Amino acid sequence: MSNLSPRARWAVPAVVGVVVAAAFVAPPLVASASSDDLPTLTPQQLVTAVADAKDQPLSGTVVYTARLGLPSLPLGDMAGASPVNLLDGSSTMRVWTDGVDRSRASLLGATSEYSVVRDGSQAWTYSSTDDAVVHYALPAKDQARYDALAQDPTVEGDLPTPAAAATSVLGLVEQFSTVSLDAQSTVAGRDAYNLVVTPKSTTTLVGHVVISVDAKTSTPLRVQVWDRDSTAPALEVGFTDVRFATPSASVLSFSAPAGASTKDVTVPLPAATDRPAAGIPEGTTVTGTGWDTVVQASGVDVAGLLAGDTDALASVPGSQPAIGSKSGQKLLDEFGADGSGKVRDLDLGTLFDTITTKVPEGRLIETRLASVLVTDDGRVLVGAVPGATLQADAR
Amino acid sequence: MSLAEAPAQSTAAAYWRLQRSELRLVLGRRRNLVLLLGLAAVPLLLGLVLFFTQDTALDGQGPAFLGRVTGNGLFLVVASVFLCLPFLLPLTIGIASGDAIAGEASAGTLRYLLTVPVGRTRLLLVKAVGALAFAAAAVASIAVVGLIAGAALFGVHDVTLLSGDTVSLGAGALRVLAVVVYVGLSLTGLVAVGLFFSTLTEVPVGAMAATVVVAIVSGVLDTIPALSAIHPALLTHHWLDFAEFLRIEPDWGVIGGGLAVQAAWVAIFGALAWSRFTTADVTS
Repeated sequence: MSNLSPRARWAVPAVVGVVVAAAFVAPPLVASASSDDLPTLTPQQLVTAVADAKDQPLSGTVVYTARLGLPSLPLGDMAGASPVNLLDGSSTMRVWTDGVDRSRASLLGATSEYSVVRDGSQAWTYSSTDDAVVHYALPAKDQARYDALAQDPTVEGDLPTPAAAATSVLGLVEQFSTVSLDAQSTVAGRDAYNLVVTPKSTTTLVGHVVISVDAKTSTPLRVQVWDRDSTAPALEVGFTDVRFATPSASVLSFSAPAGASTKDVTVPLPAATDRPAAGIPEGTTVTGTGWDTVVQASGVDVAGLLAGDTDALASVPGSQPAIGSKSGQKLLDEFGADGSGKVRDLDLGTLFDTITTKVPEGRLIETRLASVLVTDDGRVLVGAVPGATLQADAR
Repeated sequence: MSLAEAPAQSTAAAYWRLQRSELRLVLGRRRNLVLLLGLAAVPLLLGLVLFFTQDTALDGQGPAFLGRVTGNGLFLVVASVFLCLPFLLPLTIGIASGDAIAGEASAGTLRYLLTVPVGRTRLLLVKAVGALAFAAAAVASIAVVGLIAGAALFGVHDVTLLSGDTVSLGAGALRVLAVVVYVGLSLTGLVAVGLFFSTLTEVPVGAMAATVVVAIVSGVLDTIPALSAIHPALLTHHWLDFAEFLRIEPDWGVIGGGLAVQAAWVAIFGALAWSRFTTADVTS
């Protein structure tokens, strides 16, 4: 080594650089190389397999990416891990489930976490930013019924066979879309089939939907929603890493940490006869079919919602300067509020004006997958169609 | 003993002598001691501030982990490391590693060092080990003072993880130790960068400033969404992944990935420093 020429010595870092780059670039390329050695299936067979598959115990990492084209909201960075982050941008979640009735999902922030834990008939949410627990439980009288259901899950009555369920689902979907199987690929390091649903309509914003299904367990691994003309999916949620094994018991249980603020919420179990009422709620009309469906709600007091919300806002943890100490109260009097204790720093009206654009009918939000039109006369129109279609409907 | 072994043995002995004297020099230099004391003051001041404000309305406010300190002194270690990570630690590392070669060159002592029979490769290794030892000492001084101050002011208890689950004091202390070790290892890439800059110049301040700038620019690039493709390779991108140890099931893939990126920076800038140092004309 000591008798290398200077030129040879300078070659060493170049070689090291190439080796390092190769070490980081090569494994993902190898992992994503598509495998065509899976048996060929028809869409019908694939959907049957998914309907037939048991819920698998698994743990893994899920990445959710929304590229909706919304103006960026600077909320995510400030608030730590919180479900608000799911509106736009990319979020990482860890999920664990035993495939029956115990599971945990954690939304990860850089140094924070928002967890949802379900253990049988109970559930908890925990936000590390606020150190706050919300505990959901059934009332005592419903607990017995829940246990009975858990003992005998067939009580729901005659379920269709997987093949029949697949046929009816495909039948519904194929009314408005074409269903096909794309080339097999690798998702989260596993061989997967790709089911592609393409709307027959050419006026909807949705280009196509790709559902990747694990070849071995028939578990859906990834869903991508593409708009008409883009190189990246507008919405994507899928595993980047998944292991099919029962997670350890400690992950699937939860007890509130000492010192955390705890709120108990009792949720009654819906009676077996309580089916969601057929039809659509009053004040709502539906126009268009399939992918072009536009839902129109009338009599919505948007201005009131935006302006009169300070009371609700004040209850949001973290949005209020500390009250309780003299110094905190003084600060509050000087800067924060108008004396009545209401905070006026986060103006929802302004936020609404920022993310919407003015159109003759009212205000419009256009994203890559859906549009929302709030008219001046209090109607709200929503659909996976361009904004112009909503404006035409509103006239 | 054959005649051939004698010089080899004396080279090894000379290397260890040089390494010991370098460690003594780095860890004993007054400027470096002041830096270590300054870092050690961070958890102490932070602990005292939190102690005196804990029953007021300011309790529990501020950056991540700060709110947990008053409930558990162990978190003073994590909070202090977290607060020092963006600027104070890179600054300290920059000063120590930027000075390693350039300091000797500017003082005119480098050519005397080269007369020691250890070769330039080993001399570079001696300097690298010295800079790494100082980085370790910097992180350790924060951690040790943080632990003592935290335990004295707030006591230590079972640890509540970011996931809301509680682990025993022993397991929690191990996790906090893992956080500290991870942060220490995350700084190795920056040490290598500083060492390379130090071989380029005879002006130590230039190498120090360049090293700190690299850390800051890396942090800025990390916040620009348009550059998300290069984010995983950035020197500072994985620094906050120490939080992984405070989740219910640490993802070893994430931790390993962060350490692998540091190893890559060490390999590339170590090789660059070696090429530069073994080919440069030393005139001072």
